[in-house]
Amino acid sequence: MSGSILVVGGGFSGLTAAVEAAEMGYDVYLVENESYLGGRVAQLNKYFPKLCPPTCGLEINFKRVKTNPRIVFYTQASVGSVSGGPGDFRVEINVSPRYTTPQCNNCKSGEAAASTEVPNEFNFGLNTRKAIYMPHPMAFPNQCVVDPSVVGSDEGRKIKDAMPAGHVDLDQKPEAVTLNVGAIIIATGWKPYDATKMDRLCFGKYPNIVTNMMVERMASPSGPTGGKIVRPSDKSEPKRVGFVQCAGSRDKDHLPYCSYICCMATLKQALYLREQSPDTEIYIFYIDIRSPGMKYEKFYKKVKDDKKVHFIKGKVAEVKDGAVPGSVVLVAEDTIGGGKIEQEVDLAVLATGMQPTGAFNPISGIEYDTDGFVVPKDGIVPCGCAKRPVDVVSSAQSATAAALKAIQTLVRRAG
Amino acid sequence: MAEYNKLQPDLSFVRNVMEAGGDTVKRCYQCATCSVVCPLSTPENTFPRKEMLWTQWGLADKVAGDVDVWLCHQCADCTVYCPRDARPGDVLGAIRASAIRYYSRPKALADMLSKPGGVVGAIIAAAVFILAVAAMWAQVTGEGFPFPEGVVVYDKFLSVIPIDAVFLSLVAFVLFVCYNGVINFWGDISKGAGLPLSYTGSVPTPSLGTLLGKYTWPAVSDILSHARFKKCGQTAERARGHLWLLWAFIILFVVTNFVFVAEDLLYNAMHLIGPVTPMPLYHPVKLLANFGAILMISGIWLIKTMRDKKTEENVLKSSAQDWTLIWLIFAVGATGIGSEVFRLINVAQIAYPVYVFHLACVFVLFLSLPYTKFGHLVYRSTAYVFQKWAEDVKAGRAGFGLEKPSGAGEH
Repeated sequence: MSGSILVVGGGFSGLTAAVEAAEMGYDVYLVENESYLGGRVAQLNKYFPKLCPPTCGLEINFKRVKTNPRIVFYTQASVGSVSGGPGDFRVEINVSPRYTTPQCNNCKSGEAAASTEVPNEFNFGLNTRKAIYMPHPMAFPNQCVVDPSVVGSDEGRKIKDAMPAGHVDLDQKPEAVTLNVGAIIIATGWKPYDATKMDRLCFGKYPNIVTNMMVERMASPSGPTGGKIVRPSDKSEPKRVGFVQCAGSRDKDHLPYCSYICCMATLKQALYLREQSPDTEIYIFYIDIRSPGMKYEKFYKKVKDDKKVHFIKGKVAEVKDGAVPGSVVLVAEDTIGGGKIEQEVDLAVLATGMQPTGAFNPISGIEYDTDGFVVPKDGIVPCGCAKRPVDVVSSAQSATAAALKAIQTLVRRAG
Repeated sequence: MAEYNKLQPDLSFVRNVMEAGGDTVKRCYQCATCSVVCPLSTPENTFPRKEMLWTQWGLADKVAGDVDVWLCHQCADCTVYCPRDARPGDVLGAIRASAIRYYSRPKALADMLSKPGGVVGAIIAAAVFILAVAAMWAQVTGEGFPFPEGVVVYDKFLSVIPIDAVFLSLVAFVLFVCYNGVINFWGDISKGAGLPLSYTGSVPTPSLGTLLGKYTWPAVSDILSHARFKKCGQTAERARGHLWLLWAFIILFVVTNFVFVAEDLLYNAMHLIGPVTPMPLYHPVKLLANFGAILMISGIWLIKTMRDKKTEENVLKSSAQDWTLIWLIFAVGATGIGSEVFRLINVAQIAYPVYVFHLACVFVLFLSLPYTKFGHLVYRSTAYVFQKWAEDVKAGRAGFGLEKPSGAGEH
């Protein structure tokens, strides 16, 4: 029997579940795959419902994690397998080395010495990073990472020599940790659906077709463009932007479910663009705008009142070269006005949906449904986007509920 | 209070379409992917998204008035890209099947000929009928029945007079039913297209000369080349077999009419020339006829193979009606060639029965024209003509005082 809880995933849901359970007096292990906590929210520019920057929600959770001795967290760690049952799970954790020490929180000198540049996955490849890097400016833990690809190479040694003594430790080894826990909260979150899979939307074929998460990174002041949304081809400010809703969602050949957040993300990003430049025309191609609840409905109305935001009811099913170099033409049927619409835009944004981590990186011992969402079991409690596609608010709510469920598993077994 | 129109859904229409192979129609959520990916849908005339909605809602008169249903060749690009598996291509096929039944009179024939069992029954009935006519004719000519004496000559079994009596009556009947159907269809699509009506409520029609010269001829040349069908994406390969079959029908129509004029009119009725049949194999008309027969068999075989393939790939759904028509045409071709071969090798015991079945299959195929999928020949061709006419009417190029009132600035 174990009285502790394992939370898999250190994004908004996992963090919330961990601190809620720990603050109730339970020991919590938090396991995160990335080198930082905060998950997808950390990548956003602003998030709903108040359109605050991610710091405002994450900072407070980081503080709660830091100050609570009941929480033990691992980054760059993955769950190998889960066995046992409620009240007594055995979980194998593999922790990859970071190759730095905790005092290493500035790697400018190491970066200067490093030669390899790879696409920066945090920014969806919109820029590059070196083999030693800080995951992002507000990363928690605030500790640099060395790319394992340079360990044992000349470049690795050069980086180590360039950094202050004791900061880089290339001799660190992967660690295997075995945990005994009474309940498991799965908060493994999601990844944007691979936009190259929609052949008709030509992502990857035209440089000026981006995804909504790429726009978040561009809009973020700490992002690759310093907060400016630009066309990737010439870094110019787009004056006509088209949003393609349901890019992969509600489609039996891709994600059969509604991803819930993409409509609101598009409305939000329309505001970013309208604030960035007063003469930008926005074209939103949609099947249905889904803005659930009073607050979101109000937000939709606000965006709809903007005369420069045009809503076209009809899904984009064809993309062509535009007349102006770099521009693309989005083709859809206007189901209200009638006829086909061919709208030329400078930048097209695909509102790609959420694919749960379980769809491409399942944990052995956990049951998933056909789409990759976790099937709840006694002692195995999913929350956030591991359970179903939700926004940040609902993630937090489901995480608190999950903490309670996990505690119940322990209490009932102990009682 | 604001004015509103109450919709009157025709539930039996929805049921008919769903039973005819459009059972997926209610899955559609109107994303309009289909209208964009359709290679035949034009910027002004988009389909099949609107047809899906009208069918879901049971708006039978909207669908009846929609010419776009007939401009669809079931390329199935829509079906392949449909995110909901609502299969618009199959639904439009089912709508066409329902429409053919809707315009046919009497409906009992449509119901019978749309089922494989009904078609087999009809072929047997036609064979019995032909045998009965032949038996009676044998009394007149004094030839042996069912196997006339001597070498196989079909003229001894059934000569021109009974054949013409049977088939000309059939042709007259079929043409009458088709004519009625086409007139009703033309009226519905004219109203559906929003063409202006005269003060008596009649729809505008071009004069015969204009109809033939300006609208029918371009439509026919489109059809003869299959220019639109070839634009299909997923099922473009189907166009080849269909084109072969169409040309086979044209060739067989021409040679049949040549024989009709030469043998039936000039020789039998007017005695102006001697008998022309049976023709020697090197006769140009016989060569053409045999070429037509081979083209027919290969065309229908190609159609069958392609439909098999596309059905297996789940791109198309094939109904019993689709297969029935394919096998009926195949039977016409096979019995036709069989009749000729067994006549040439002079095996009376096989030749005459095969000939009877050939006549029976031809009879049922003719009869099918206004009642089964075969009717697409009539209605799709009409739709091609109408489409060109409606464009001109709408653009004010058609005459008849139907032009849009021209703006003052245009003078």
